[in-house]
Amino acid sequence: MSGRLIALAFGIFVLIAAALVSTQVSPVTAGKLLFEGSLGSPERISQTLVLVTPLLIAGIAVFVALQAGLFNIGAEGQLLLGAMCGVVVAQKVPGFFGWVLGAIVGMAAGAAWAYPAVWIKVWRGGHEVISTIMLNNIALLLCGALVRGPLKGTQSESATTDPLPAGSMVPNLLQSGDLRINLALVVGLVLLFGVARFLLRSVGGFELRATGANPTAAAFAGVETKRVMVRAMLVSGALAGLAGAFQALAYEGRFYPDFSPGYGFDALGVALLAGSSPYGLLPAALVFGILSSGSALLTIEGVPKGIVGILLGLLIAFFAAVRYREVRSGG
Amino acid sequence: MSAEAAVRMTGITKRFGAFTALEGVDLVVRNQTIHAVVGENGAGKTTLMKVLQGLHAADAGTLELDGKTVSFRRAEDAYRSGIGMVSQHYSIIPELTCLQNLMLGSEPGPLLDQSQAKERATRVASELGLSFDWDALAETLGPAGSQKLEILKLLWRESRIMILDEPTAMLSPADSDALYANLKGLVERGATVIVVTHRLPEVLEYCDDVTVLRGGKKIAAMATSETDAATLANLIVGRALDGPSDQTRPEPGEVVLELKGVRVLGDRGDEALRGVDLTVRAGEMVGLAGVDGSGQRELFRLLWGVARPVGGTLTLFGQDASNWSVRERIARGLRLVAEDRLHEGVVESWSLHLNGQLGFQRHPDREDSPQFTEELIQRFRTKARGIGDRIASLSGGNQQRFVVARALALDPELILAFQPTRGLDIAATEEIFAAMRAHCAAGAAALVVSFDLDDLIDHCDRVVAMNRGRIHTPAVELGRDRAELGRLMVTT
Repeated sequence: MSGRLIALAFGIFVLIAAALVSTQVSPVTAGKLLFEGSLGSPERISQTLVLVTPLLIAGIAVFVALQAGLFNIGAEGQLLLGAMCGVVVAQKVPGFFGWVLGAIVGMAAGAAWAYPAVWIKVWRGGHEVISTIMLNNIALLLCGALVRGPLKGTQSESATTDPLPAGSMVPNLLQSGDLRINLALVVGLVLLFGVARFLLRSVGGFELRATGANPTAAAFAGVETKRVMVRAMLVSGALAGLAGAFQALAYEGRFYPDFSPGYGFDALGVALLAGSSPYGLLPAALVFGILSSGSALLTIEGVPKGIVGILLGLLIAFFAAVRYREVRSGG
Repeated sequence: MSAEAAVRMTGITKRFGAFTALEGVDLVVRNQTIHAVVGENGAGKTTLMKVLQGLHAADAGTLELDGKTVSFRRAEDAYRSGIGMVSQHYSIIPELTCLQNLMLGSEPGPLLDQSQAKERATRVASELGLSFDWDALAETLGPAGSQKLEILKLLWRESRIMILDEPTAMLSPADSDALYANLKGLVERGATVIVVTHRLPEVLEYCDDVTVLRGGKKIAAMATSETDAATLANLIVGRALDGPSDQTRPEPGEVVLELKGVRVLGDRGDEALRGVDLTVRAGEMVGLAGVDGSGQRELFRLLWGVARPVGGTLTLFGQDASNWSVRERIARGLRLVAEDRLHEGVVESWSLHLNGQLGFQRHPDREDSPQFTEELIQRFRTKARGIGDRIASLSGGNQQRFVVARALALDPELILAFQPTRGLDIAATEEIFAAMRAHCAAGAAALVVSFDLDDLIDHCDRVVAMNRGRIHTPAVELGRDRAELGRLMVTT
């Protein structure tokens, strides 16, 4: 078994090296570029954190559902809807309450978009993977249609909302030179520790994890598993919605159809890479954020950006294999 | 009737590790007869049938078919020799059509000629006077229809010796009669049938010969015309030890559990409990005897609140409890040793520490201290390195010790124990029954399911028998009488 793992690790190494060599850039150079592109200067660190914020919050969202035994593939759709609704509210309400209300409405929108999937799962026995994928498509097309239609900004030619007034946006907590740390990221970190505490220390978290690990045994232990699943999915949707709302209200300042490069899908990878501990979400979100942000510089050197996607995919496959082995061997 | 027996198994011995499942068992099945193999759970019936099918290799003994010695290395060898089996749990796949199910596993070749297959299927079915809608999905078949299809599968494979494991377990009496009529027809056309069953009336009415197994040994073999139900029941459960009890029966107290006319539907929508009456008082340890599948499972699901009754009343501690949630039951002192430990009792991927709290997470006296788990481990000497061990890393016996300890924690009032000593040695069995008795002496009550009648008679204050969805309570003076209980368990 361990032989296979070594083979897998070796395979990954060879694949990365081959890909890089074929584009005439040495692996060492590529690594350096990745590092410089993501953490090389205060400005680049700030840009990386812009990516880490939604990955972390949406990662928590997917993780909560996963712990309850639900695959919330719909994080992307919930995130888009959260972002759009958040922007709409923040445009109507000026100042501090703009982004606070926007975030709350974004959470409600995300939860509402997650609800049909869990309703179908619990009361009709339909698998949530299928229904959340479908809901993603609906969300994507719905947001696109609205931004091209009624929500289209008055001053803009392309399909986008009007930009938000600076006062309605989530403020930076820290700004020194080019280094900016937004309140949204800090909220994400607080949420991480809150959710971790809930899962690991509270009775509700215990019941949620029992439901995910063995729903029959959980029901025999007095857990109302259907109610737990519904709540977990609503929380998951709300967090995904918040990830989207914050991304719009803290960084983008507007909403447009290609708003998300796939944060919701990358969040699946973040949650899987986190393993069994919620605290694993932070390093996982950082890895995803750093690699995505660093890939911009790689492109300049002629390395295709897709190489980072391959690397992340292999990382998850490798990690899943290791975890599967641990579970199997009782480690 | 030819002179040679269709099946002659001689001196079959089969061991699993230190456990001897079969010891020098003989089975002689005359050609073109229906032969019953009877015995309690664990008597070795299934193992013997598996040896005959080539699924288990015997450690000793010989097998002759039609007077010729054969040895099966694989199930395929037995299949080629014309031996086929209909198992208790049908292998019909509901999403396939009847015809596809019929052919499954013995397709004529890589290409299927549906019309030709249908022709042959119709011919095979008509031999038995049956007709099927071959293009209908198998899910439209009821239990009786599924079973007919299973039997047709054997004919399709040209099996000559047919083994049926508990064929009437899921059938109504009318369907059972029809089944045996079909079997008679098959026998007249040259087949030989072996029926594994618990139901003595069927044995006496429809079978030609009967072989009785107990504890892995052949106890008797005879023609059914030479015996009766009482004799067979005695042979199956063994001679009663009938000595007076040395345990003083505690004075029973308040009624803890009362069931009146309770009816519950089983998985297949049939009535699994058909009007159950039962009273258990504080201080009592009541054994629930019966062969597997008599309704014990559904009764426990009802008592635990994961199944709802369709009729009758359930009273716990003097209050109507039909709508109590599982959590409420736990809070009021109900405890469960689940039938299916891995699915219902524990979260396999969790540590002992987390599993120890499972069920108690909302109990008023909930404890999540390491000491609590330590005590659970020590109570019946569970072998584990520590409270952080994943429960899946423990052996089945050690898992059982742990879950029984958990079921006795935090002052139980009513202990529902489904085979609490399953897989445990005699010392641990004694310890667990003693612990449950101690709780009963302190005012709790216990209801214990076991398929081992001796275990119940040895340890419980009184034993009631479950049979086909009803509970039969013997007269007070016969509450621990082996012969009487055996009779109640197997005769309808």
